Amino acid sequence: MFNEERFSSLITTSCVDLDNILGGGINCKEVTEIGGVPGIGKTQIGIQLAVNVQIPLEYGGLGGKAIYIDTEGSFMVERVLQIAEACIEDMSEYSHHFHKDNQAYGVKMHPNSILENIFYFRVCSYTEQIALVNYLDKFVTEHKDVKIIIIDSVTFHFRQDFDDMALRTRLLGEMSLKLMKLARNFCLAVVMLNQVTTKHIEGSFQLTLALGDSWSHSCTNRIILYWNGNERHAYIDKSPSLKSASAPYSVTSRGIRNSTSSSKRIKMV
Amino acid sequence: MAPLNSLEKEYPLIDANFQTFCASHAIYSVEDFLLHDLDALFASASNPSTSHRLKQLLSIIDALHPPLINGLQLMEDAKQNKHVLSTGCEGIDALLGGGLRAGQLTELVGPSSSGKTQVCLMSASTFAKHKGSVIYLDTGNSFSPQRIAHFVGQSSDCVSGNQADRRSLQKVLDRIICYPVFDVYEMFDMLHQLKINLTSEIVKSDRHVQLLIVDSISSLITPILRGNGPQGHALMISAGFLLKKLAHEHNIAVLVTNHVVGGEDGNSKPALGESWKSVPHVRLLLSRDCGGNVCNISIIKHPAMASGRTASSIRLFV
Repeated sequence: MFNEERFSSLITTSCVDLDNILGGGINCKEVTEIGGVPGIGKTQIGIQLAVNVQIPLEYGGLGGKAIYIDTEGSFMVERVLQIAEACIEDMSEYSHHFHKDNQAYGVKMHPNSILENIFYFRVCSYTEQIALVNYLDKFVTEHKDVKIIIIDSVTFHFRQDFDDMALRTRLLGEMSLKLMKLARNFCLAVVMLNQVTTKHIEGSFQLTLALGDSWSHSCTNRIILYWNGNERHAYIDKSPSLKSASAPYSVTSRGIRNSTSSSKRIKMV
Repeated sequence: MAPLNSLEKEYPLIDANFQTFCASHAIYSVEDFLLHDLDALFASASNPSTSHRLKQLLSIIDALHPPLINGLQLMEDAKQNKHVLSTGCEGIDALLGGGLRAGQLTELVGPSSSGKTQVCLMSASTFAKHKGSVIYLDTGNSFSPQRIAHFVGQSSDCVSGNQADRRSLQKVLDRIICYPVFDVYEMFDMLHQLKINLTSEIVKSDRHVQLLIVDSISSLITPILRGNGPQGHALMISAGFLLKKLAHEHNIAVLVTNHVVGGEDGNSKPALGESWKSVPHVRLLLSRDCGGNVCNISIIKHPAMASGRTASSIRLFV
């Protein structure tokens, strides 16, 4: 008989409102799917998470490494550098404010070391993607401090000219089970970024996440990003333990931040 | 069916002489043996030891089939053992005539985020609160102790935080065992292990397993269906039979979840296909109003209730 205690390891998204609706951040041991229209900031969130997972333990982060699997080629290193620098600035600002009385904790991180701790894989076909997911098991066993795997985007290679739909469903089902197993066994977060497609429901066309109904069951949590007027919003579509809620966020030159707040300080939990 | 020479270890009476005798009648496996005309075999058994062995073998085979019982015995068994237990949600209980019945396989079908996992978690917390043991096979890392604590705290009107509550919550959580499974073969291993544990264990009154949840069985079976031949299909049906057998023999209520796929006219239909339709005893369809907190449940199939009965305004997402 074992009792499951919730040792929550959460990765902050750097946006307070978003963290609040997520219960603190992205959960380790769970597979989270983030989907939205092009241009809404999915890759930005992915990059922000890859940087935030490396925030050291003293600042409330996990001090872990990240794996970034890029299927579309949208990973821009210059942008990652920008976000990493902003993150370090925020951390030193934080340490300034809260440790004024004690000796200042020097922030020993350098943007280059943040870049070093992101393992980047570029896949160009669905077979490569599946082979990579199979290989990840061995990879994470060797690099035990990987705490997040980001797949951007998981649907890209499965959408165009896939003749055998049954094969696609099977492959996707297997891949999602493997990712679930990785998340559970190695206690890391898996974040999948997904594109949208239109669906014909009851006479009208609606936007839904790509890959169909069977895929919608392959994640633990799902967040949908959408435009509300001029603002970007995130909405929790599926979660076993979180309430449905939506929160605004914005994409700035420093990364993902709150939309209305003028303060650039990251709230450390 | 196993070839005869592989059974030698288990049943020493099937030794080399016996196998030669069988081979002379073109019997190489258990299947051949069962299909063969047994009277003719007896007649051709030349020495008494062979015919003696044949008789022993037939008595072993007789002992393997399930016992024949009549209707009266079935009803007594139903009254004494097959209790109906509440799921914790009044709407669902009213719909099902009391709740989940031990010995039955109940299936929850619904699109994503319609509340299937919530119903599973709620039933688990209710069964555990009433001192039953719960086994939860989780394929999507969705088991949430936080949510169980919420359900437990909700139905007992105490404020959480004091010592006694935490201890009782701890006891409730102790009774729910959660196994992550990511493979249909892992699930089979788990179920076989459970079968062995249940048949050999002496029944302890409050540790008896009362509820088995597989969330979700469709994500385990979809990767193997329609692939390399009929094996996937066979595995799915044998999984269904194994679950039903466990339910009946050990008086467990079994709850599984399934998802929907697109049908022909764009309507959604439950996944896993036509053959799976006849496997569960009770099938319930869940749907959720867009973004609302309300879940609608309707009966697709039930041995005792009319299908099409619905219950709505079940607030699961508070």
